[in-house]
Amino acid sequence: MTKFIFFSGKGGVGKTSMACMHAIRYSDEGKHTLIVTTDPASNLADVFEQEIGHKLTPIYSVPNLWSMEIDPDQATQEYVDHALAPVRAAFPASMVKVMEEQMSGPCTAEVAAFDRFTDFIVQDQSTEQFEIVIFDTAPTGHTIRLLELPAEWSQSIDAASAGSGQTCIGPAAAIQDAKHKYEHALTALRNEGVSTFIFVLHPEAIAIRETRRAISELGKLGIHTHRLIVNGIIPASEHSNPLFSARSKMQLGYLEQIRAQLPFTSQSMTLLAGEIKGVECLRQAANIFFNGEQPPVISGNMEDVPEGNVQQSSIDDIRARILPRGQRRTIFFAGKGGVGKTVASCMTAVWLAQHEFKTLLLSTDPAAHLGDVLGQPVGDSSQPFPGIMNLWAAKIDPKAAAETYKARILGDARQRGRTESAIKVMEEELNSPCTEEMAAFDLFIDYASQSDWEAVVFDTAPTGHTLRLLELPMDWSQQIDVKVFSSVDGSAADDVAKERFGQVIEMMRDPAQSTFAFVMYPESTPILEAWRAAQELATTGIQPGLVVANFVIPSNQATPFAQARRRMQKNYLAEIRARFAVPVLEIPLLPQEIKGLEMLSELGERAYGIPALDVR
Amino acid sequence: MKDVIPLLTTLPTSIAPVDIEIFDPPMCCPSGLCGPTLDQTLLDVNEMVMSLQRENLRVERYQMTSHPNAFLGNAEVMKLVREKEMAALPIIVVRGKVVKVGSYPRQDEIRFALAGANR
Repeated sequence: MTKFIFFSGKGGVGKTSMACMHAIRYSDEGKHTLIVTTDPASNLADVFEQEIGHKLTPIYSVPNLWSMEIDPDQATQEYVDHALAPVRAAFPASMVKVMEEQMSGPCTAEVAAFDRFTDFIVQDQSTEQFEIVIFDTAPTGHTIRLLELPAEWSQSIDAASAGSGQTCIGPAAAIQDAKHKYEHALTALRNEGVSTFIFVLHPEAIAIRETRRAISELGKLGIHTHRLIVNGIIPASEHSNPLFSARSKMQLGYLEQIRAQLPFTSQSMTLLAGEIKGVECLRQAANIFFNGEQPPVISGNMEDVPEGNVQQSSIDDIRARILPRGQRRTIFFAGKGGVGKTVASCMTAVWLAQHEFKTLLLSTDPAAHLGDVLGQPVGDSSQPFPGIMNLWAAKIDPKAAAETYKARILGDARQRGRTESAIKVMEEELNSPCTEEMAAFDLFIDYASQSDWEAVVFDTAPTGHTLRLLELPMDWSQQIDVKVFSSVDGSAADDVAKERFGQVIEMMRDPAQSTFAFVMYPESTPILEAWRAAQELATTGIQPGLVVANFVIPSNQATPFAQARRRMQKNYLAEIRARFAVPVLEIPLLPQEIKGLEMLSELGERAYGIPALDVR
Repeated sequence: MKDVIPLLTTLPTSIAPVDIEIFDPPMCCPSGLCGPTLDQTLLDVNEMVMSLQRENLRVERYQMTSHPNAFLGNAEVMKLVREKEMAALPIIVVRGKVVKVGSYPRQDEIRFALAGANR
């Protein structure tokens, strides 16, 4: 095994479980092991059932195992503190405060988290002591971005030292050291003797597509050290259950597709009856995975789990959170990776459009698969979606957004008669990796403030990155407030921007205009992740309006495995209702994947009711 | 944290005497292109700097975060910064003499100051 092992893949495929199983296995073999998560919404602490946080922390119940959760906010604070340390004593406190605020843009946070990440790859004292370093990464879109950054920053630094001598992160001459560090990191990632990328995936269409896309992106960076773990294989014992046997047949087809399209060293892992949580459970799962042990036989009663007296939310309450009432309604579907945000978004948007609301469906996930669920591709600008009236769709792709943003700013500069040499310098600065963040954010604000829609549905990226996006308008309003220098022209631009941000903030806080819908399946980690996100958003005045509980196993399941899972889900469904005091929409586990307008429309009618004339 | 990007090391880029020094207010990049709004004035300043450089004048721009030593090394600049704090910036220094405080100059103001300094 190589020193660095990355676990990557679509959200919800079991990256964290697989990464933890490997970490425990190597530690048990006596290897000094470190597990690091780069996911801002980390689940490591939930899985190990102990606090971890932004520092090297021993896993108390596993000798030889250490862990750390990279916290972007704390990484940024450390980075800023370090950068400002010599300045603090010399300048007035009020000025130091402005400098700190200045470093709160998306750029610094990204550089800081990335810089901390490369620290683990480039040998230094903190990782030298470890024989194995396992990275449990954020879902694909953001991980690819993280891995592309070393190359992009190196280029940006090169371009800056050839040109104006300035980059976003400081004078080019001073950051040559950083460039060496980033290049060194990239070399380590490319070396198959040093790094391995393990893609975890489910035998499902979207997970396969996302893995193929990720492998091709990594290929462009010269990284070819891949392996696969196909997770969630339905055990043969469940073939007598119609729901699982239908899903199992579907899996067989996709396993064939994986063999044909992803010809890498591959291992598989069976779907277990319960969650993988706690060290003992992880060890048991590791024995199944590494040693081919059989999962424990589920004993106990075969009786159906009673429905009980759980108060189901009324369809009117649920509909009230979805329907526009006299003004535009904006609905954000948020939550952990793999919980079904895209399906919930598409189903809701299709239902609204069919009820003659002019609806815009948007994805802010860089690894968007709106098109995979809708059944037809979705572009980078809002276009009417074919086959259905009143529905428009677009994805916010950071790279495409950056190109448009650059073209707009440079076009504007040309129109103002700026010289070609000045435009060249601007172009060089706009080629900084920061521009993608800026441009995607700018586009988000743009869509979020368009008034010609009756409903706007956001399919968001997994939790960590979505929180960052939603909090940016507030951060930047503050940054404008403390901005010291502004020309007359600049102040006017600031006023416009502040008003734009202010409107979006107000919209997000007003439950009459917007609904935050947290999507989760009834298991511990997605509930905890959504709960933490809801608490963080509450500090900015944004309250959740709806919970979507997905993959709920219907009653009348005759097999022990399905019964066991259903029992587990029932407890968690009760926990969801206790934690979130909002209507809960349950979506059943279906025998097949959801794809195409027809299925979405059927699902929407099941969720929100059949078309009636009185909804408007 | 080890190996952090050393924002604070100011390396001399040339040994020629500096003609014009601009002590900028804190901002992400000198064009303001990475901030939340675009300020045309900052782009004008950028263009002016380039046009002065084409005449072989040496122009340097400093920020407190990336070039604290440039600030600390100029007593007059530090006095202004301590007294007026943010309102003092930007400060324009032509051949060692403060010529403008609190706003960016036009090109003719710089030329006038350069001519004065040559007299």
